[in-house]
Formats: sequence, structure tokens, C-alpha cells
Amino acid sequence: MTLSLSQVLSSHQDQLLNHWLHDLSQAAADSGLNPAHPELMEPLRALFWAIIAQLNQEPAQQPNQTPSQASAHAPDQPAPLASERSEQQAALKTELQQLIAKQARLQRNLSDTLGFLLHLKHLVLKALLAAEAHDPTDRSILWLDHCFEQIARQAFDSALAERDRYISEQSLSIMELSTPVLRLWHQILLLPLVGVIDTGRARQVTDHLLEAIAKYEARVTVIDLTGVPIIDTSVAQHIMKTVDAARLLGSRVVLTGISPEGAQTLTKLGIRFGDVISRASLRAGIAEALLITGKRISAMDGGAR
Amino acid sequence: MKIPILRLGRLLLVSIQEDLTDNEAMQFQSDLVNKVAEIEALGVAVDITALDVVDSYMARVINDTASMVRLLGAEVVICGVQPFVAMTLIEMGRDLIGADCTFNLDQGLEQLKTRIASRGDIRFAGDEDE
Repeated sequence: MTLSLSQVLSSHQDQLLNHWLHDLSQAAADSGLNPAHPELMEPLRALFWAIIAQLNQEPAQQPNQTPSQASAHAPDQPAPLASERSEQQAALKTELQQLIAKQARLQRNLSDTLGFLLHLKHLVLKALLAAEAHDPTDRSILWLDHCFEQIARQAFDSALAERDRYISEQSLSIMELSTPVLRLWHQILLLPLVGVIDTGRARQVTDHLLEAIAKYEARVTVIDLTGVPIIDTSVAQHIMKTVDAARLLGSRVVLTGISPEGAQTLTKLGIRFGDVISRASLRAGIAEALLITGKRISAMDGGAR
Repeated sequence: MKIPILRLGRLLLVSIQEDLTDNEAMQFQSDLVNKVAEIEALGVAVDITALDVVDSYMARVINDTASMVRLLGAEVVICGVQPFVAMTLIEMGRDLIGADCTFNLDQGLEQLKTRIASRGDIRFAGDEDE
């Protein structure tokens, strides 16, 4: 008679955990990282128990399994209820997500994490083989394999989701950083646009600009597009809306820094800016704005020049 | 045929001498636009004295080019529209050519200079640091 997976697990779980954590610390130390990062230990432990619980869900194949032999984490029924099963899967998923998030914060690779998990598989497999003679086609081993495949997939998904979250967080902060409306001079505002303009950002830019126009009673707004890499249909539409909105508040708009490609795109899209002034450089645009407000820059008398 | 783009200070002068194929028209358009951006031209005069026929495609090319050049911050004037060309353009409808037109190059350059003189970047020419 061979022992079932859950039997092996219940008798070996503490040993497995210690062995696993020890090996991980060793591997981390070898690659020059803090071997026992306290932040990682707790999620690793939690993950371990979740994985054990998942492994204990092995469909029963041996009628002689008795409740006393089942581990505390395994349900007593030979075939666990579907709801319990999915509950445990959800718990496992949560633990995985937490671990991955921690790992990402510590700037460790996904491959490290997968390495951890597959190492645990290796250890469990070894324990299983040592406990009783199992042959490679044994259902327990197939089940083990299946479980870890799922876990690896979930780890991968979690890592991707984590990265997506990180990217969207960053783009949010870039968005907030990159939409300043500058007060260039009395009644002159400067809106330097930098980076990709999407719908959300365009709306935010327009909001900021309109507020600033109202606040400073700006007569001229210089919108500098030097930092906008690509002007396509949607970007053009957004710029157009911003310009129109500014004009409704009675501010003249001077566009500057449109690239030759940008000019061709705008024209081919049939976008006409009407009486909006456009200038090649920010400098020429500022000169235009000063002219409109009746100001000029001049050299100081007896200055260094 | 490549259309030469002549530079007069910060003005550009182009003369279209014959009908352009579609490719030539596109080439002309991007050449001119790039040149305007390169030298930060203040004005562009497009002379079409030699054209006896301007079809709707050509009219659109000229008009689009003028819009692009304006977006790049230069003034545009179309010179030398022949009476017959003017008739056909009007017959074809609406303002096929939205840019300002003058009878000849002389008047065209005159108008460019007037318009450029009223611009902010030139009004401050005395403060130029170059």
C-alpha cells in the first residue's frame, strides 16, 4: 500500500516548509540578495500553507484513507465540495498576488518567483518518492504536476496584473506632472504639452487651462506642441477642442512648435485652425503674444550689450 | 520633375512651371514643408504664372500646402493666378484656394513683407540675439 499525497504531506509539512525556506535563503544569498528578507518570509509561509491546502484537494483514489490520517487542512470527505475547492483556490490566488506584489516592490524577477514555486514542487515530489514507492504515472504525481502548473500560471497572471497596475499608476503620476499651465507674463499663459495626448489627459489639460485663463484673465495662451511626438487624428481633435474652449473664454491662442509631419497630418485630416496664430518656435510665439498684449522686450540702456 | 525651392533671406520662393503628377505634387508638398521648418521661414510665395490649367486636385494640393505652411508659422501668398485659371476655379466652386492671391510675384512679395512686418517676432527684431 502506498501512502496518499495528503498523508505524506501531513507528516512532512513542517519539514518541507523549513527545507524550502532554507533553500530559498540559500539561493538568495548566492545571488547577493538579503537572504531572509523579513518582508518576504511571511508571504512565503502563507503561500506555503495555501499550496499545501490546494495539494490536499487531490481527488481520492484510496478507499482506506481515514479522517484521522487526513491533514488538518484537508477536508474529510473523499471528494471535496466544489465550493470549498474554489475557496481554497481563491485563498491561494490571494497569497500569490501578495507575494508577487512584494517581490515587485523589492525589484525581484518573475523568474525568481517561479523558481521558488517549482523548487517547492521538487521538494514535495522528493518527499513523496521517499515516503513510499510511487511510479511516475501515479495519480498523486500527476495531481502534483497539475497543481503546480496551475500555480505557475496564476503566478504569471498575477505578475502581469501587478505590472499593469504599476504602469497605470506611473502614467497617472506622469499625467499629473506634465500638465502645468504657466503664467508667462501678465495676461499671457503658456501651456507646454509633453508626451502622448490621450482622451483623459486632453480633458485634464483643457480643464487646467480654462481654470487658469479665468483666474488670470489671460488674453493670450501659447500652446507649445514641441514635446508632442505624434499628432494623429485623436490628438488633433483634442488640441482643436482645447483651442476652441480657450477661444470661447476670449483668449487668443498661439500654437507653437508644430513639426512638419504634424502640419501635414493636421492639414490632411482637414483640420483648419481658422484664425489661430501658429508659429514655428516658442520664441516666435512668445513674441506674438507680447505683441497682442502690447508689451515688448528690450535691451537695458547701457547694458552689457 | 523636382521643383526648386529658392531662398531669399527668410522667404521662400517656389514657381510651379508645369502640371504635376500626384507623386510630384506630394514630393513638392513635403519638400516645401520641411524647408519651411528647417529655416523657420517667415513667408512663402508660390508662383503659378506658368500654369494654364489648375484642376481640382492641383488646387487642393496648393491649398493644403498653404495651410501646412501657415501651421508652421509662415505667411503664404499665391502669385500669378491666370484669368482663365481663376474662372475655372470659381466655376468648380467655393474657395478652392483659401490662401491670399496676388496678380504677380512683385505684388506677392510686397504683401508678404507687409504681413511679416506686422508680426510679433519681427516687431522685436531689434532685440534679436543673433
